[in-house]
Amino acid sequence: MTSDGTTREPGTKFYLMVWGALLLIVALEVFLTYQGLSHGALLAWLLVLAVVEAAIALGYFMHMRFERRLLFWSTIPYLLMCFLILNHIWRDAARVITMPVQSP
Amino acid sequence: MAHPQVTMHGGHAAALEPSPFGMSSKKLVMWLFITADAATFGAILFGYGFLRAAAPDWPRPFEFSPTILNGLVMTFVLLTSSLTMLQAVAASGRDDRPGTARWMGVTILLGALFAFLHLREWFKMFAEGWGLHANPTGGPVDFGASFFSITGLHLLHVISGLVALAVVAILFRRGRLTPNHIETTGLYWHFVDLVWMFVFPLVYLMNAH
Repeated sequence: MTSDGTTREPGTKFYLMVWGALLLIVALEVFLTYQGLSHGALLAWLLVLAVVEAAIALGYFMHMRFERRLLFWSTIPYLLMCFLILNHIWRDAARVITMPVQSP
Repeated sequence: MAHPQVTMHGGHAAALEPSPFGMSSKKLVMWLFITADAATFGAILFGYGFLRAAAPDWPRPFEFSPTILNGLVMTFVLLTSSLTMLQAVAASGRDDRPGTARWMGVTILLGALFAFLHLREWFKMFAEGWGLHANPTGGPVDFGASFFSITGLHLLHVISGLVALAVVAILFRRGRLTPNHIETTGLYWHFVDLVWMFVFPLVYLMNAH
Protein backbone atom coordinates (compact mmCIF):
# COMPACT_ATOMS: atom_id res chain seq x y z
CA MET A 1 0.00 0.00 0.00
CA THR A 2 1.45 3.40 -1.01
CA SER A 3 1.38 6.52 1.16
CA ASP A 4 -1.78 7.86 -0.49
CA GLY A 5 -3.72 4.68 0.37
CA THR A 6 -3.46 3.01 -3.04
CA THR A 7 -1.77 -0.30 -3.87
CA ARG A 8 1.19 -0.70 -6.22
CA GLU A 9 0.21 -1.98 -9.65
CA PRO A 10 1.50 -5.19 -11.21
CA GLY A 11 3.52 -5.33 -14.45
CA THR A 12 3.03 -6.32 -18.09
CA LYS A 13 3.27 -10.06 -17.48
CA PHE A 14 0.36 -9.94 -15.04
CA TYR A 15 -1.77 -7.88 -17.43
CA LEU A 16 -1.05 -10.41 -20.18
CA MET A 17 -2.38 -13.14 -17.87
CA VAL A 18 -5.50 -11.06 -17.16
CA TRP A 19 -5.99 -10.55 -20.90
CA GLY A 20 -5.62 -14.29 -21.46
CA ALA A 21 -8.12 -15.04 -18.70
CA LEU A 22 -10.67 -12.70 -20.27
CA LEU A 23 -10.24 -14.36 -23.67
CA LEU A 24 -10.74 -17.78 -22.02
CA ILE A 25 -13.99 -16.58 -20.45
CA VAL A 26 -15.20 -15.37 -23.86
CA ALA A 27 -14.30 -18.76 -25.37
CA LEU A 28 -16.24 -20.46 -22.57
CA GLU A 29 -19.26 -18.27 -23.29
CA VAL A 30 -19.23 -19.27 -26.95
CA PHE A 31 -18.74 -22.94 -26.00
CA LEU A 32 -21.73 -22.88 -23.67
CA THR A 33 -23.88 -21.22 -26.34
CA TYR A 34 -23.66 -24.35 -28.48
CA GLN A 35 -24.21 -26.94 -25.75
CA GLY A 36 -27.97 -27.12 -26.15
CA LEU A 37 -28.71 -25.50 -22.79
CA SER A 38 -32.18 -24.19 -22.06
CA HIS A 39 -32.76 -20.51 -22.68
CA GLY A 40 -32.82 -19.67 -18.97
CA ALA A 41 -29.75 -21.72 -18.15
CA LEU A 42 -27.74 -20.15 -20.98
CA LEU A 43 -28.79 -16.67 -19.90
CA ALA A 44 -27.79 -17.37 -16.30
CA TRP A 45 -24.39 -18.72 -17.33
CA LEU A 46 -23.67 -15.87 -19.72
CA LEU A 47 -24.66 -13.28 -17.12
CA VAL A 48 -22.46 -14.84 -14.45
CA LEU A 49 -19.49 -15.04 -16.83
CA ALA A 50 -20.07 -11.47 -18.05
CA VAL A 51 -20.11 -10.20 -14.46
CA VAL A 52 -16.87 -12.08 -13.71
CA GLU A 53 -15.28 -10.58 -16.85
CA ALA A 54 -16.50 -7.12 -15.88
CA ALA A 55 -15.15 -7.49 -12.34
CA ILE A 56 -11.73 -8.51 -13.69
CA ALA A 57 -11.68 -5.64 -16.20
CA LEU A 58 -12.88 -3.17 -13.58
CA GLY A 59 -10.40 -4.32 -10.97
CA TYR A 60 -7.30 -4.71 -13.10
CA PHE A 61 -7.67 -2.89 -16.42
CA MET A 62 -9.45 0.07 -14.84
CA HIS A 63 -7.28 -0.22 -11.73
CA MET A 64 -10.11 -0.07 -9.22
CA ARG A 65 -8.33 -2.83 -7.33
CA PHE A 66 -5.47 -0.39 -6.73
CA GLU A 67 -7.53 2.66 -5.84
CA ARG A 68 -8.94 3.61 -2.46
CA ARG A 69 -11.94 1.61 -1.27
CA LEU A 70 -13.99 4.82 -1.15
CA LEU A 71 -14.11 4.82 -4.96
CA PHE A 72 -15.67 1.35 -5.03
CA TRP A 73 -18.21 2.13 -2.30
CA SER A 74 -19.14 5.45 -3.94
CA THR A 75 -19.93 3.97 -7.36
CA ILE A 76 -20.66 0.25 -7.44
CA PRO A 77 -23.43 -0.10 -4.82
CA TYR A 78 -25.38 2.67 -6.58
CA LEU A 79 -25.13 0.84 -9.88
CA LEU A 80 -26.15 -2.48 -8.35
CA MET A 81 -29.15 -0.78 -6.72
CA CYS A 82 -30.20 0.62 -10.14
CA PHE A 83 -30.00 -2.81 -11.74
CA LEU A 84 -31.85 -4.39 -8.83
CA ILE A 85 -34.72 -1.94 -9.20
CA LEU A 86 -34.86 -2.50 -12.97
CA ASN A 87 -35.72 -6.14 -12.32
CA HIS A 88 -39.26 -5.04 -11.53
CA ILE A 89 -40.02 -5.00 -15.27
CA TRP A 90 -40.05 -8.78 -15.69
CA ARG A 91 -43.53 -9.28 -14.26
CA ASP A 92 -44.91 -6.92 -16.87
CA ALA A 93 -43.08 -8.78 -19.62
CA ALA A 94 -44.74 -11.99 -18.44
CA ARG A 95 -48.11 -10.21 -18.44
CA VAL A 96 -47.60 -8.81 -21.94
CA ILE A 97 -46.61 -12.15 -23.45
CA THR A 98 -49.81 -13.78 -22.16
CA MET A 99 -52.11 -10.94 -23.27
CA PRO A 100 -54.73 -12.12 -25.75
CA VAL A 101 -54.38 -10.58 -29.19
CA GLN A 102 -57.55 -8.74 -30.14
CA SER A 103 -58.77 -9.08 -33.69
CA PRO A 104 -59.15 -5.75 -35.55
CA MET B 1 -4.95 35.42 8.79
CA ALA B 2 -7.35 34.32 6.05
CA HIS B 3 -5.95 32.60 2.97
CA PRO B 4 -6.30 35.03 0.02
CA GLN B 5 -7.36 32.33 -2.44
CA VAL B 6 -10.22 31.26 -0.24
CA THR B 7 -11.43 34.69 0.80
CA MET B 8 -11.08 36.48 -2.53
CA HIS B 9 -12.13 33.81 -4.98
CA GLY B 10 -14.34 31.54 -2.93
CA GLY B 11 -14.84 27.84 -3.51
CA HIS B 12 -11.13 27.13 -3.34
CA ALA B 13 -11.25 25.30 -0.06
CA ALA B 14 -10.59 22.12 -2.07
CA ALA B 15 -7.13 23.50 -2.88
CA LEU B 16 -6.33 23.21 0.83
CA GLU B 17 -7.58 19.64 1.27
CA PRO B 18 -6.37 16.39 -0.26
CA SER B 19 -8.94 14.44 -2.28
CA PRO B 20 -10.53 11.70 -0.16
CA PHE B 21 -10.42 9.49 -3.28
CA GLY B 22 -6.67 9.98 -3.64
CA MET B 23 -6.97 11.06 -7.27
CA SER B 24 -7.23 14.18 -9.40
CA SER B 25 -10.61 15.81 -10.04
CA LYS B 26 -10.56 14.91 -13.73
CA LYS B 27 -10.02 11.24 -12.96
CA LEU B 28 -12.81 11.25 -10.37
CA VAL B 29 -15.17 12.94 -12.83
CA MET B 30 -14.33 10.27 -15.40
CA TRP B 31 -15.25 7.58 -12.86
CA LEU B 32 -18.53 9.34 -12.16
CA PHE B 33 -19.26 9.64 -15.87
CA ILE B 34 -18.48 5.93 -16.32
CA THR B 35 -20.86 5.05 -13.49
CA ALA B 36 -23.67 7.07 -15.08
CA ASP B 37 -22.96 5.65 -18.53
CA ALA B 38 -22.96 2.13 -17.11
CA ALA B 39 -26.44 2.81 -15.73
CA THR B 40 -27.51 3.97 -19.20
CA PHE B 41 -26.22 0.84 -20.89
CA GLY B 42 -27.73 -1.28 -18.13
CA ALA B 43 -31.11 0.33 -18.69
CA ILE B 44 -30.96 -0.16 -22.45
CA LEU B 45 -30.00 -3.83 -21.99
CA PHE B 46 -32.86 -4.29 -19.54
CA GLY B 47 -35.16 -2.69 -22.11
CA TYR B 48 -33.94 -5.17 -24.70
CA GLY B 49 -34.53 -7.99 -22.22
CA PHE B 50 -38.08 -6.78 -21.63
CA LEU B 51 -38.87 -6.64 -25.36
CA ARG B 52 -37.43 -10.09 -25.80
CA ALA B 53 -39.23 -11.63 -22.83
CA ALA B 54 -42.53 -10.12 -23.99
CA ALA B 55 -42.23 -11.44 -27.56
CA PRO B 56 -43.36 -15.03 -28.18
CA ASP B 57 -41.56 -15.29 -31.53
CA TRP B 58 -38.24 -13.54 -30.96
CA PRO B 59 -35.87 -14.42 -33.82
CA ARG B 60 -32.45 -15.95 -33.27
CA PRO B 61 -30.85 -15.27 -36.65
CA PHE B 62 -27.11 -15.20 -35.90
CA GLU B 63 -25.24 -18.10 -37.46
CA PHE B 64 -21.87 -19.12 -36.04
CA SER B 65 -20.28 -18.16 -39.34
CA PRO B 66 -20.02 -15.34 -40.08
CA THR B 67 -21.82 -13.47 -37.30
CA ILE B 68 -20.64 -15.09 -34.07
CA LEU B 69 -17.16 -15.59 -35.52
CA ASN B 70 -17.06 -11.91 -36.46
CA GLY B 71 -18.20 -11.07 -32.93
CA LEU B 72 -15.39 -13.21 -31.50
CA VAL B 73 -12.82 -11.38 -33.63
CA MET B 74 -14.29 -8.04 -32.53
CA THR B 75 -14.08 -9.10 -28.89
CA PHE B 76 -10.45 -10.17 -29.32
CA VAL B 77 -9.59 -6.87 -31.01
CA LEU B 78 -11.25 -4.80 -28.29
CA LEU B 79 -9.68 -6.76 -25.43
CA THR B 80 -6.27 -6.40 -27.08
CA SER B 81 -6.82 -2.67 -27.46
CA SER B 82 -7.38 -2.47 -23.70
CA LEU B 83 -4.05 -4.24 -23.21
CA THR B 84 -2.23 -1.80 -25.50
CA MET B 85 -3.92 1.10 -23.68
CA LEU B 86 -2.46 -0.25 -20.42
CA GLN B 87 0.96 -0.19 -22.07
CA ALA B 88 0.37 3.42 -23.07
CA VAL B 89 -0.51 4.32 -19.48
CA ALA B 90 2.61 2.52 -18.21
CA ALA B 91 4.78 4.35 -20.77
CA SER B 92 3.27 7.70 -19.76
CA GLY B 93 4.13 6.90 -16.13
CA ARG B 94 7.80 6.56 -17.21
CA ASP B 95 7.43 9.88 -19.10
CA ASP B 96 8.20 8.02 -22.33
CA ARG B 97 6.22 10.32 -24.60
CA PRO B 98 7.13 8.70 -27.96
CA GLY B 99 6.36 5.26 -26.49
CA THR B 100 3.03 6.45 -25.12
CA ALA B 101 2.04 7.90 -28.48
CA ARG B 102 3.02 4.63 -30.22
CA TRP B 103 0.96 2.47 -27.87
CA MET B 104 -1.99 4.82 -28.17
CA GLY B 105 -1.59 4.67 -31.93
CA VAL B 106 -1.86 0.89 -31.79
CA THR B 107 -4.92 1.21 -29.54
CA ILE B 108 -6.53 3.58 -32.03
CA LEU B 109 -5.80 1.21 -34.92
CA LEU B 110 -7.37 -1.70 -33.05
CA GLY B 111 -10.38 0.42 -32.14
CA ALA B 112 -10.77 1.48 -35.76
CA LEU B 113 -10.59 -2.18 -36.81
CA PHE B 114 -13.37 -2.97 -34.32
CA ALA B 115 -15.51 -0.17 -35.74
CA PHE B 116 -14.84 -1.35 -39.31
CA LEU B 117 -15.83 -4.96 -38.50
CA HIS B 118 -18.94 -3.71 -36.77
CA LEU B 119 -20.03 -1.47 -39.61
CA ARG B 120 -19.35 -4.23 -42.12
CA GLU B 121 -21.67 -6.47 -40.15
CA TRP B 122 -24.32 -3.77 -40.00
CA PHE B 123 -24.29 -3.27 -43.76
CA LYS B 124 -24.51 -7.00 -44.31
CA MET B 125 -27.60 -7.07 -42.09
CA PHE B 126 -29.11 -4.09 -43.94
CA ALA B 127 -28.57 -5.97 -47.20
CA GLU B 128 -30.43 -8.97 -45.74
CA GLY B 129 -33.41 -6.75 -44.93
CA TRP B 130 -32.81 -6.02 -41.25
CA GLY B 131 -33.38 -2.49 -40.04
CA LEU B 132 -34.56 -0.41 -37.10
CA HIS B 133 -38.14 -1.24 -38.08
CA ALA B 134 -37.61 -4.19 -40.38
CA ASN B 135 -37.41 -7.93 -39.82
CA PRO B 136 -37.00 -10.03 -42.98
CA THR B 137 -38.11 -13.20 -41.13
CA GLY B 138 -41.52 -11.64 -40.50
CA GLY B 139 -41.13 -11.68 -36.72
CA PRO B 140 -41.10 -8.72 -34.30
CA VAL B 141 -39.34 -5.61 -35.59
CA ASP B 142 -38.18 -4.98 -32.02
CA PHE B 143 -35.21 -7.22 -32.77
CA GLY B 144 -33.75 -4.74 -35.23
CA ALA B 145 -34.70 -1.78 -33.06
CA SER B 146 -32.96 -3.19 -30.00
CA PHE B 147 -29.96 -4.66 -31.83
CA PHE B 148 -29.09 -1.54 -33.80
CA SER B 149 -29.81 0.77 -30.84
CA ILE B 150 -27.60 -1.12 -28.42
CA THR B 151 -24.74 -1.78 -30.82
CA GLY B 152 -25.13 1.71 -32.28
CA LEU B 153 -24.80 3.35 -28.87
CA HIS B 154 -21.72 1.24 -28.18
CA LEU B 155 -20.25 2.08 -31.60
CA LEU B 156 -20.82 5.77 -30.90
CA HIS B 157 -18.80 5.38 -27.70
CA VAL B 158 -16.06 3.57 -29.63
CA ILE B 159 -15.81 6.26 -32.31
CA SER B 160 -15.84 9.15 -29.85
CA GLY B 161 -13.25 7.26 -27.83
CA LEU B 162 -11.03 6.98 -30.89
CA VAL B 163 -11.25 10.73 -31.41
CA ALA B 164 -10.44 11.40 -27.76
CA LEU B 165 -7.50 8.96 -27.85
CA ALA B 166 -6.08 10.63 -30.96
CA VAL B 167 -6.36 14.14 -29.52
CA VAL B 168 -4.87 13.14 -26.17
CA ALA B 169 -2.04 11.18 -27.83
CA ILE B 170 -1.06 14.12 -30.03
CA LEU B 171 -1.20 16.67 -27.23
CA PHE B 172 0.70 14.40 -24.82
CA ARG B 173 3.41 13.84 -27.43
CA ARG B 174 3.75 17.61 -27.77
CA GLY B 175 4.20 17.91 -24.01
CA ARG B 176 0.92 19.72 -23.37
CA LEU B 177 -0.72 16.99 -21.28
CA THR B 178 0.30 14.92 -18.26
CA PRO B 179 0.28 11.15 -17.60
CA ASN B 180 -2.91 11.75 -15.63
CA HIS B 181 -4.66 12.66 -18.89
CA ILE B 182 -3.53 9.39 -20.46
CA GLU B 183 -4.77 7.38 -17.50
CA THR B 184 -8.12 9.19 -17.45
CA THR B 185 -8.66 8.63 -21.18
CA GLY B 186 -7.62 5.02 -20.71
CA LEU B 187 -10.36 4.60 -18.12
CA TYR B 188 -12.95 5.56 -20.73
CA TRP B 189 -11.50 3.14 -23.25
CA HIS B 190 -11.54 0.25 -20.77
CA PHE B 191 -15.16 1.10 -19.98
CA VAL B 192 -16.06 0.77 -23.69
CA ASP B 193 -14.46 -2.68 -23.57
CA LEU B 194 -16.34 -3.54 -20.37
CA VAL B 195 -19.70 -2.69 -21.96
CA TRP B 196 -18.90 -5.01 -24.88
CA MET B 197 -18.41 -7.84 -22.36
CA PHE B 198 -22.17 -7.62 -21.75
CA VAL B 199 -23.29 -6.72 -25.26
CA PHE B 200 -21.57 -9.68 -26.96
CA PRO B 201 -23.12 -12.45 -24.82
CA LEU B 202 -26.54 -10.85 -24.32
CA VAL B 203 -27.13 -9.50 -27.82
CA TYR B 204 -25.08 -11.85 -30.00
CA LEU B 205 -24.78 -15.19 -28.19
CA MET B 206 -28.35 -15.16 -26.85
CA ASN B 207 -29.55 -14.66 -30.45
CA ALA B 208 -27.32 -17.36 -31.91
CA HIS B 209 -29.11 -19.74 -34.22
